[in-house]
Amino acid sequence: MQSANTLLKKIVRSSVLPFAVQHGMKKDFLPLCRTLSLSPCLKQDNSCNPSEKLDLDAWKRVMKSGLQEEVRETVSDDKELSTLSGTREILELWRLAGRSVPENISEDQLKTFMECPSKSAKKKYLKFLYLKELCKKNDKRKLEEKRERRLEAQEQASKTDETKRSPFMCLWTRNMDRAYSWRVAQSMIFGQPLVFDMSYEKDMSIREVTNTVKQIVLSESCNRRSADPFHIHFCNFKDDSLYHREFIKHYREAWGKLLITVTDQCYTEIFPKDKLIYLTADSPKVMKTFDHDKIYIVGSMVDRSIKTGVSLARAKRLGLETAALPLEKYLLWNTGAKNLTLDQMMHILLTLKDTGDWKAALEFVPKRKYCGFVSKPVHELKKTLNLINILKLGKRQDEVQKQFAKNYSKKLTQK
Amino acid sequence: IQPPEKPLQAEEWNRLKESFQSPELFEEVMFNNMIRCNSPIDVAKSLLTHVAKSNGDIAYNLLVKYLALCVQQHQTSEIRDVYDIMKSRFKMLESGAYNLFIRGLSNSDQWRMALTLLEEVKKLMIPSRTNYESCITAASRHQEMNLAFELYHEMLAKDLVPTLDVLQALFVFSRGMEGAELQKELFGILLYLRENQIYPHKTLMRNIKLWFESIPGGKWRGHLTNIKDSGQCPVCNHQLENSDLTEEEYSNLRERIIRDVIHGTDTFRKTSPQEFEAFQTFVENRLPFDIVIDGLNVSHIKPRKTQCENLFHAVNCLAKENVRLLVLGRKHMLINSSNWRREIMKEMQNKADFFFAENISEDDAFLLYATLRSGKHCKFVTRDFLRDHKACLSDSLTRHLFRKWQRGHQIVMFSSFFIQQPAFRFDCVVQTTGDTWHIPYKDTFEEKYSYRVPRKWLCLQQKR
Repeated sequence: MQSANTLLKKIVRSSVLPFAVQHGMKKDFLPLCRTLSLSPCLKQDNSCNPSEKLDLDAWKRVMKSGLQEEVRETVSDDKELSTLSGTREILELWRLAGRSVPENISEDQLKTFMECPSKSAKKKYLKFLYLKELCKKNDKRKLEEKRERRLEAQEQASKTDETKRSPFMCLWTRNMDRAYSWRVAQSMIFGQPLVFDMSYEKDMSIREVTNTVKQIVLSESCNRRSADPFHIHFCNFKDDSLYHREFIKHYREAWGKLLITVTDQCYTEIFPKDKLIYLTADSPKVMKTFDHDKIYIVGSMVDRSIKTGVSLARAKRLGLETAALPLEKYLLWNTGAKNLTLDQMMHILLTLKDTGDWKAALEFVPKRKYCGFVSKPVHELKKTLNLINILKLGKRQDEVQKQFAKNYSKKLTQK
Repeated sequence: IQPPEKPLQAEEWNRLKESFQSPELFEEVMFNNMIRCNSPIDVAKSLLTHVAKSNGDIAYNLLVKYLALCVQQHQTSEIRDVYDIMKSRFKMLESGAYNLFIRGLSNSDQWRMALTLLEEVKKLMIPSRTNYESCITAASRHQEMNLAFELYHEMLAKDLVPTLDVLQALFVFSRGMEGAELQKELFGILLYLRENQIYPHKTLMRNIKLWFESIPGGKWRGHLTNIKDSGQCPVCNHQLENSDLTEEEYSNLRERIIRDVIHGTDTFRKTSPQEFEAFQTFVENRLPFDIVIDGLNVSHIKPRKTQCENLFHAVNCLAKENVRLLVLGRKHMLINSSNWRREIMKEMQNKADFFFAENISEDDAFLLYATLRSGKHCKFVTRDFLRDHKACLSDSLTRHLFRKWQRGHQIVMFSSFFIQQPAFRFDCVVQTTGDTWHIPYKDTFEEKYSYRVPRKWLCLQQKR
């Protein structure tokens, strides 16, 4: 009934109605008399002479006349507004007013929304949902376009109708998977361990944990595809923790078949302490080379708020050696924090393991974060800079050189 | 696009719409421009009429935009009409529309309607502080001070921070009114300023002064003045409160610094338990100090000199008869280098006590602890604002205590000619003794630096 009414309303509001009225279709076309109040006004519009004087308040009459029916409707529809549906109503109005609010919102999301502690938190959460919805819509649209294109291509292919012959059966993905699994299984026996420290759940919000798990899933997949994978360990992993639940959400039944070691033990219980190196951006020590005999630990933590020194504190507590990537040494850093995502770390470590080439490894640092590589040795860089300065400022050469050397060494020692 | 000067006919709107690049956005863009150019509302009405006739309905966002235009031009009867229409058209309204209605109506003779709207908002959500501002201003403009203060207290109970405009309205419209109750309320506002360390701006200060002088039979006189460094008011010779904390506040602050700043969530983040314990015994054995110096901070004062020369100079400046100094540093200072020469370090260690923390520990936390442990007379030297440490404190009350203590105990050294900015002897807050009030105020409306305290004061005294 409801939908029929709205449909009718739409028809009435579009220009079909005057046409219908003129042709005397009113009786059988509109079994409900609710919309009749609108028609005289529209009719008047139709007959209105353009040279007539403008009636500025006409819109009010239109709005008010269109209302009678709706008021009646709403009164009968809901006597009581519960807080939940009330909130839903407000959200709808916000959307109409042009704010970033999602079109559809589930019961759970609504509850999370109402539990947000402040107005700005609510606004942020709504925007997050809105953008998510937008992305989903776009993906769906793209998928449909793709399907259409594929159908078209198929039609064309069927027209030409030519079977191709190939010596292999088309089983690429399955075969690849088998080959990858073989390699990872090998690494579980002979490979170099890489530890993910899963003890940061209490330091993160739910969204940060979700992001962490997403990044670990990415890291695991790129490890599986590499030529010489690590043997991944999840240490300090508690069953039925938030991490665990998120992992199951991602992997489903594959979670039990993953070729990694998951344990609730600490890495210090499994490996000798002197072989462990904790990788953290806050470390005062800078990694020089990749050591194939060491076991590197990566903290599974996404830190959206500012919590410096959490993983360094952990390493300090356990008395472990720490190291940071030599980002300053190889890259002219531009903006952004020096902590990288877990999958970027994985890419970098895998490349280092295979080649030992810092330049190739640090290609995986996001481009927006640095201006370029420090390609030449420092003294050559100094020369070019000198030249620029002489051309630009006409300064005396040795003075500039001294200044630069001082600054540069200071910069290095500070970090 | 430029909105038209006078109302247009339907075809003219149609023509304009077709010439616009994205017709579906035409009305919205047009309304936005009308608000920006403050077009006559007849033009907006004609567009609405056009939309209503062609669609049979007007979208919510267009109504809100029209409303904004009406509020901008104080068209009270139009606002009422829009309210009736929206109220009957939609089950409820959202905060944006309510904000506009309340603002629009509170400025008119129908201001009581704004109060009923405020009640409606309360059913849905917590009203914003500007909602309260409109209603309180309207109530006090019509001399309904009781109502205004009722709303004011309601607002405070909801943890909303009143705008300075609200406070100003309350002072302006109470001018010349009698009543002990009213006086008490307004004194209450001044105490609110004191508790939250808010400084009024010049206009608000002037209104406070005028209100005091208008109290019937009060015989208050106000003067603008600068307080001397000694903390004495040059007008009434009254000595201002000193910046010392009470015994209880002091021990409270010390405990909170240890708990929140040094330990925090994990002691290892700033130091380690062994190191902190070593530091504690070190301090206990040598108590009390008179001045605690942040060695590394002080060593960077003059960039042309080496770091140990700077520190040496600072220590020499501060070392006088019977003054006990503590210098905090890091272990790397002990390694002989061009910046840290061993002979000079040796010489300094004869004049002051030194504690060297690990290179990755935070020495500021130790600075705070040693100063607080030594007692109220102890001061500390650093150019650091210590904002990150203040941020570690979990509640605003302790943060205010920290700021107050910092103002009274921090000595800042300047590079150019090596002078010290002494710690304040008096506390820079609104204060009273019953027959005098001293109110610090900001000279400009927007004070740029939160760490800077005002130097100008309003002195009010009651002539007996």
